[in-house]
Parts: sequence; structure tokens; C-alpha cells
Amino acid sequence: MKINHHADDATIMAYAAGTVSEGFSLLLTAHMEVCSHCRERMSLASDLGGELLCEVEPARMSQEGLSNVLSAIEADIIDPVTPFKSPSASSDMASVLMEYVPRGLDELPWQRLMPGIRQYQLTGVESGNGSVRLLSISPGIRIPHHTHLGGELTLVIEGAYEDEIGHFKAGDLADLDASCNHQPVAVGNKPCICLIATDDKLRFTGLLSRMVQPLIGI
Amino acid sequence: MLAVTKLFNESENMTAIPVSDTRTWLRSVAERRDRHAFEQLYGYFAPKIKGYMLRQGADDASADDLAQETMVQIWRKANHYDPQKAAVSTWVFRVARNLQIDRMRKLKFYEVALNTEASSTLENLQHNEQLEHRTDTDKLRKLIGELPEEQMEVVQLAFFEGLSHSEVSCRLSIPVGTVKSRLRLAFGKLKIGMGEKI
Repeated sequence: MKINHHADDATIMAYAAGTVSEGFSLLLTAHMEVCSHCRERMSLASDLGGELLCEVEPARMSQEGLSNVLSAIEADIIDPVTPFKSPSASSDMASVLMEYVPRGLDELPWQRLMPGIRQYQLTGVESGNGSVRLLSISPGIRIPHHTHLGGELTLVIEGAYEDEIGHFKAGDLADLDASCNHQPVAVGNKPCICLIATDDKLRFTGLLSRMVQPLIGI
Repeated sequence: MLAVTKLFNESENMTAIPVSDTRTWLRSVAERRDRHAFEQLYGYFAPKIKGYMLRQGADDASADDLAQETMVQIWRKANHYDPQKAAVSTWVFRVARNLQIDRMRKLKFYEVALNTEASSTLENLQHNEQLEHRTDTDKLRKLIGELPEEQMEVVQLAFFEGLSHSEVSCRLSIPVGTVKSRLRLAFGKLKIGMGEKI
């Protein structure tokens, strides 16, 4: 899969440091399952974390620390081995998303937001003031102009869209911050399905969309 | 903060980190369940992990518990470590960080497998071959030590104190855009210095 749009370096650093929201970590994981470019940068950012750990001022462990740890590992009846779950080669869906979309996109209880736009909110993903949702946008339909109070990550799952930044297709990641005001439009002949994570509310810039925003819960 | 930056810069003169030793110890733990090697790992990493947890805001007792728990996980997961693909410190950092997020922030943290062959079904092998190099930790340490103070400061606030971009922005009273640009500049220097084509 050829990926053209990637996570920002600052986002990669935050992900490696562990400071992104749960929703952002879910979306970044899904992207990196298919994107070696971002995975490689994530490796370097994690190496940075490892080096910083080596340089942190050490703190004296409690006297009983080692014996506690040895007791804990001796209490292991058998050494638990966590099986590695490899991504499913038979599905285009990132394996990390299968937990939320076990029966495929078609089977989801989509909620109609406005003509040509349906959403499915992922429940159980902690996102603070933001949200994690799937949007299905019919070809030719525009999402109203909006900016973001915080950050927004969008991962294209199926189909494609275009906005002021470029053309985004399956696997591409849009990494937007509060300075970006954009109006995506679904292109091609099938709906564009995106996973969108925000860490704060969107801010619609048109009057009509500002009025409907409380109703649609974005 | 300045004191920590200074500590880091001075570390070049400290005893070299026994990278090969930690790798040997971890392999012995993975392959032979070697308790003696594990105690060596504990002696080297547990105080650092506790220091990391303290910087993340844990009190002394909690930081001690979290460091102990990280070491138990290192024992249990040692067979997941692949010495061909990552430094021991990188792997230990990820275990400690994930535990900190789980216990202190009470969040799930999804993480992509960086050092497995799993992606070979999804991508061409050429990319994976590029990933199969172990980072030159000496070189990386030197590059980190050369980062300008204001860039190092935002890196440390993120990695040590667990602050998001907006929290760093509030702490330093600088715009979020400046936080991000300092992080990008720092990461750019590391990428170029490490000769990454990324």
C-alpha cells in the first residue's frame, strides 16, 4: 500500500512519549500497521525514549524491591507467553480496529447525520473532550467548513476524499491542528469511510453548521 | 529543568552504558530464565525506571511499586525482545511507559508492533529490510546531547513529565505551534544525524 500522507513528527514524538489520547493512539496504531514510513520514525522516537530513560536521575529502590520482584516471578506457575496477534491478511481493516468493527463496516449501526453523511461513534475509547468516530461520506458530499480547537487525526479506511491539503485515499493520514480550516469532499464512486479522532471539539465556521453542531454531537 | 539538561550533557563523560551487557542479560533471561542475569538487569534499570515514574508525578512508594511491576513484566515478556531490531533501553522504556499510562493515567494505549515481521504481509520486503538495523545508541546519545536547550526542554517535558503539546504550551507560556516546531526541529536533527531516510 502506497501511503502519501503521514503523521507529523511532533505527533510521532507525542505518541512515543505516551502523551496522546487513547483515541489518537488507536488511530496512529491503525495507520502504522500499514505505513512503514511512520513506523520507522516511531522506532527512532522510541529509541529517543530509551536513551532518555538511561539518562534519568536514578532513584534508590526500596530494600524489599528486589525480593518482591523475585517472589512475583517465582509465583508464576507457568511463564505466561502473550501470543502475538498478526494483522489479518484477508482484511483491509487494520487489526487494531477489528475489536470495534468485528463484523465489518457494512454491519455497523450507522447513524445518519445529514444527507450523504453517516457516523458511527466508537464507544469505550477515552478521548477527553474529543471523540473517535467513523464517518461514511457519499461521493460528492462535502463536510462543512470547520477548524479544530485541538488536534484532529483522520485515517481513510475506504474510498477517498480531497480538501485544501490534497487527495487522501485508504491508508493516508491527515494530521491537522487548530490552524487548519478545511472542507473535505468525498471523491470517487463509492463512499469515503474515515476514522476520525479529535482531542477537542470541532469548530464549524458556517452559520448553518454551527446551528446543527449541537444536534449532531461532533 | 536546567539541572536535568546539564545532567544529560555531562553524561557523555560518565561511564558508558553497558549496552552489550544489558543485551546479554536480557537474552539470558529470555532464553534460559536466568535469575542472576535478571538481577543484573534489575540493578541497572529499576532505579532508572523509578526515577522515570517520579518524574511522571508518582510518589515515592508508587514509583517503587511501578518500577517493581515493570521489572516483573520485563521477566515475563523477555522473549518478545528481538536484539536484532531494537536497543534494550528502547524496549524497557516502552514497557515502563505503557505501565505508567495504564496505572497512572488509567488509559488504554494502543501501540503498533515496531519490531516484528508481521507487516511483511502488508508491505514490500524492502521497507522491512530497512527496519532491521539496530540503532547506534552511542551516536543517538551524542546527538541528543547536542540538542539546543530549548528543544531539549520540550522533549523532556513530553517524555519525562508526560505533558501533551498543549500542556507544554501552558507550562512554558509559548504557543502550541512553537512547542510542535521545537519538537520537529529536535526530531529532524536526530533523523538527519542517524542517517534515516525518513
